[in-house]
Amino acid sequence: MRATNVRKINFSNTVAYLDLSQAITGIFLCLFMLTHTLLVFSIIFGEKCFNKVALFFESTGLAWSSGIFLTIIFLFHFLLTARKIPFSFTEQAKFWSQAKMINHQDTWLWLVQVLTGIVILLFGSIHIWVILNDLPITALKSKHLMQKGGWVYFYVLFLFSVAFHLGLGLYRIGVKWGFITSQNRLKSKKYLFILVGTLIMIDSISLLFFYF
Amino acid sequence: MSRILEINIFRYNPEDPASVPRMQTYYLEETPNLNLFIALNRLKEEQDPSLMFDFCCRAAICGACAMVINGKPQLACKTKTKDFPNQINLMPLPGFKLIGDLCVDTGSWFRIMNEKLEAWVHTNKEFDPEAEEERMENSLAEQIYELDRCIECGCCIAACATAQMRSGFLGAVALNRIARFILDPRDKRSEQQYFEIIGTDQGIFGCMGLLACEDICPKNIPLQDQLGYLRKKMGVLAVKNYLFWKKRS
Amino acid sequence: MEIIYSDLLCIGAGLAGERVAIEVAQNGFKVVCLSLVPARRSHSSAAQGGMQAALGNCIKGEGDNPDIHFEDTVKGSDWGCDQEVAKLFAHTAPIAIRQLAYWGVPWNRVVSGRSFYYKGGKRFEKIERIEKHGLITARDFGGTAKWRACYCSDGTGHSLLYTIDSVAISKGVLVHDRSEAISLIQDGENCLGAVVRCLRTGKLRVYLAKATLIATGGFGRIYRASTNAIINEGGGLIIALETGLVPLGNMEAVQFHPTGIVPGDILVTEGCRGDGGVLLDINKYRFMPDYEPEKAELASRDVVARRMVEHMRKGFGVKSPYGEHLWLDIRHLGKEHITTKLREVYDICLNFLGINPVEELIPVRPTQHYSMGGIKTNVYGEAYGLKGLFAAGEAACWDMHGFNRLGGNSLAETIVAGMIVGKRIVEFLQEREVNFSLKLVELELKKQQEKINKLIFGKGRENVYKVRNAMQDILMDYVGIFRNEKDLQLAVDNLQELLERSKQIKLRSNGLGANSELSLALKIEGMVKLALCVAYGALQRKESRGAHTREDYPYRNDRDWWVRTLAYFKEKDSLPTLEYEPATKKIFLPPGKRGYGGTKIVPYDYPKDAPLPEL
Repeated sequence: MRATNVRKINFSNTVAYLDLSQAITGIFLCLFMLTHTLLVFSIIFGEKCFNKVALFFESTGLAWSSGIFLTIIFLFHFLLTARKIPFSFTEQAKFWSQAKMINHQDTWLWLVQVLTGIVILLFGSIHIWVILNDLPITALKSKHLMQKGGWVYFYVLFLFSVAFHLGLGLYRIGVKWGFITSQNRLKSKKYLFILVGTLIMIDSISLLFFYF
Repeated sequence: MSRILEINIFRYNPEDPASVPRMQTYYLEETPNLNLFIALNRLKEEQDPSLMFDFCCRAAICGACAMVINGKPQLACKTKTKDFPNQINLMPLPGFKLIGDLCVDTGSWFRIMNEKLEAWVHTNKEFDPEAEEERMENSLAEQIYELDRCIECGCCIAACATAQMRSGFLGAVALNRIARFILDPRDKRSEQQYFEIIGTDQGIFGCMGLLACEDICPKNIPLQDQLGYLRKKMGVLAVKNYLFWKKRS
Repeated sequence: MEIIYSDLLCIGAGLAGERVAIEVAQNGFKVVCLSLVPARRSHSSAAQGGMQAALGNCIKGEGDNPDIHFEDTVKGSDWGCDQEVAKLFAHTAPIAIRQLAYWGVPWNRVVSGRSFYYKGGKRFEKIERIEKHGLITARDFGGTAKWRACYCSDGTGHSLLYTIDSVAISKGVLVHDRSEAISLIQDGENCLGAVVRCLRTGKLRVYLAKATLIATGGFGRIYRASTNAIINEGGGLIIALETGLVPLGNMEAVQFHPTGIVPGDILVTEGCRGDGGVLLDINKYRFMPDYEPEKAELASRDVVARRMVEHMRKGFGVKSPYGEHLWLDIRHLGKEHITTKLREVYDICLNFLGINPVEELIPVRPTQHYSMGGIKTNVYGEAYGLKGLFAAGEAACWDMHGFNRLGGNSLAETIVAGMIVGKRIVEFLQEREVNFSLKLVELELKKQQEKINKLIFGKGRENVYKVRNAMQDILMDYVGIFRNEKDLQLAVDNLQELLERSKQIKLRSNGLGANSELSLALKIEGMVKLALCVAYGALQRKESRGAHTREDYPYRNDRDWWVRTLAYFKEKDSLPTLEYEPATKKIFLPPGKRGYGGTKIVPYDYPKDAPLPEL
């Protein structure tokens, strides 16, 4: 019964730090994505405008440095979240049968989050590789890329994955850390879906501009 | 004309060498106000006395009769058949040891959980039978009661994909229990001591925020808010620990 | 043969059993509790409204003290209780409640300042004292002079049970749940333990202990309609009765709670009426003040239940496919009160009736609720007839309830008796030396195994559920709230016949594993015996006292019947043997008027040979 009788066991803060870092890197990547979307959106004001923006990042060295920095964060975020992803077959089977059994929206959405995460890992790596290997970014190069082969499909899938992963990720962070409460859960979910929709819309417009 | 219900029940008696896990179908005529407590007992008494299932208070107070009803973990006693289609599928709660048919061993699971959490008031004070009780604000008492209402039915564990994937995960019921003791000023454990119990991947940081617990809890305990509160509290504590450790070294 | 040794074997792990276990375990003894269900699912958890203790903190309880609590309890019992026990109880209850607070029960507290309350449908104002702010508060319950029922919303039993079980875990009390004691092991003088059937595997185990406690709660399930959990089949009473040595006290004293819901028979707490709810008839007319001008809905339960039936018999009941009922109206208490202080009631109404009590009336009628009778013990919880056997809680006839228990006194009894009986067991264990004769153990085990074999492979023809249903119907029809010679005789005759049938049971399933048909078959004979103790005791008691109401003997006859019935059941008999003892050895409060119920009384000093007064 006594408080003093409680056994002192070895404990560590590591898990807490990892979990915190997962949330922080997630939020950081979200912010980046939103910025990225807006920057790319500059194409609708014409190629000149887009090139100007690109040149700014090129000339200040931001393209390279932030590219590398973001890649590191990106991989780090993956490693952190990977702690939760079921890699073993038993775990996958259990999750799948559980999701099928209770047929519960937020449980399904988690699966969506994992799958989009994996898509982003693959496609994101390719995207970063392609872009950083061919600096500076110009509207013309992007246009050529987009009109070549299946790249447009690649980017459509990538875009959808990113948007959903971002929205769901923010929702999950909000829920897990108590920013989204039972009171405002439905509302938050609605707003985040609107955000996802808006992202998809804006990026689709940009894509169209590059495609035609 | 009343409906004929088709009730499919998971059957397996581990103590019977002739028994194999299977689904067995029973038919029952629906009567007004029929719930699964009455339905299952009628099946047992009129059709198949070997059926195994648990009921106790049959008033949704004791938590004995949780089972998976058409995919959702719920209390059978308060489940009315009229809210369901003609076909009702009953499975035992996943995540607990099967005793037979729809019976699972929640007793041992929760006893171990409570031992692990040391889910009792820890204090250095001796009880003084002569003394007046310690005062407490009524609003605080009500807050504690709100979390104390959990009936350990096991639905949140059965609904949680994390708990199903990772058997060591404490789950919403345990985390809510800790939240109850954190609220209670009579429990003199420090934040650090709570952290040692739940600041792990089996504890609050293992929760993936799927919220099936919140959506399924038959007592409507505010689990989501407790989980959020605990994560925030434990996260902040870890940061504090980091800063403190920095200062000290 | 699997044998498990302990110092104390607690049969039952509800509030009483675990409170005893805590007392004994913290004195260094090994305690094993048996329970049909996980400890926290025990029926104690279903107690809703409150626990009586004279703290006198809230303004409406001001001036309260254990002596007033004692008087209320004796009046409530209709002078059927043991006054020494009632006194000890009332004086220990405040300590018990404070200890529970110390252990973590979230009692509702006094909030100083102005607030409102309802009585009889009308709103009143009260001002709580500033110096009592934050102390444990109380609500009004039936049959009490003061507001005395301490509560945690209307989940008091739940919070108590979870707290007590948490303390039991911290003290290392072992609970073997899903285990059912099917017979006591005894040598004619000493109780040595029990033969136990595992409800996981169906295997038999032997538990040997220096002391054995029976705390298995009530036996309400011998009635068809009961507020009791389905596990309350009187298992502990049966194994004690079947020794032939241990008597059951006052088995005819069966309480009907005024507000069981229709249909479903689930309890809604007395707190509904305590907090100001009223009873209405078919015309939405509040009838209780006509019968009980003083106390109205808050007379004792036996009285309110009787008045309700009386009123329905006059044709004022509401007809429904589930039989007649009356209405409970709590709408005026308001949404906030109902969804916080009466939250379980709110949930029960929504879940089981599909009605919202904030806007609608609740259909209720008196329903079997509590067994005042049980294993007769002395003031320390020692059972009559066997050394080393103890009983506590509803399973015991300790006897503080006499012929009617007051609401909130049962929760209090479990804890208080737990403390007192626990202490005595500790003293007992410190001196107890026993030799366990293995031969005796093997004999008993063999006997039980043969009984099981006979049920599975024997030549019987009876269906256990049919026998049980017949028993339940007999009690419902003939041993209800109003009783008379003709009905009771019919009940006894039919039950005797049923007792024979109960010996001819044959299972229809294979009886393997956690088979519940076998569980019932093993105790059905004992259940019929309990039913016989109730019916035969009622037949023989030619007076009306508390919950025992004889239409043909309307007087409370203190001259001839101020006694307690002791029922023994000898092995080959088909009827219990009844003996009587004085209701109380010590008299602090001589028999008098209760102040409600309007019973006519034959005084205890009424001339010995004089004929009873005319009806």
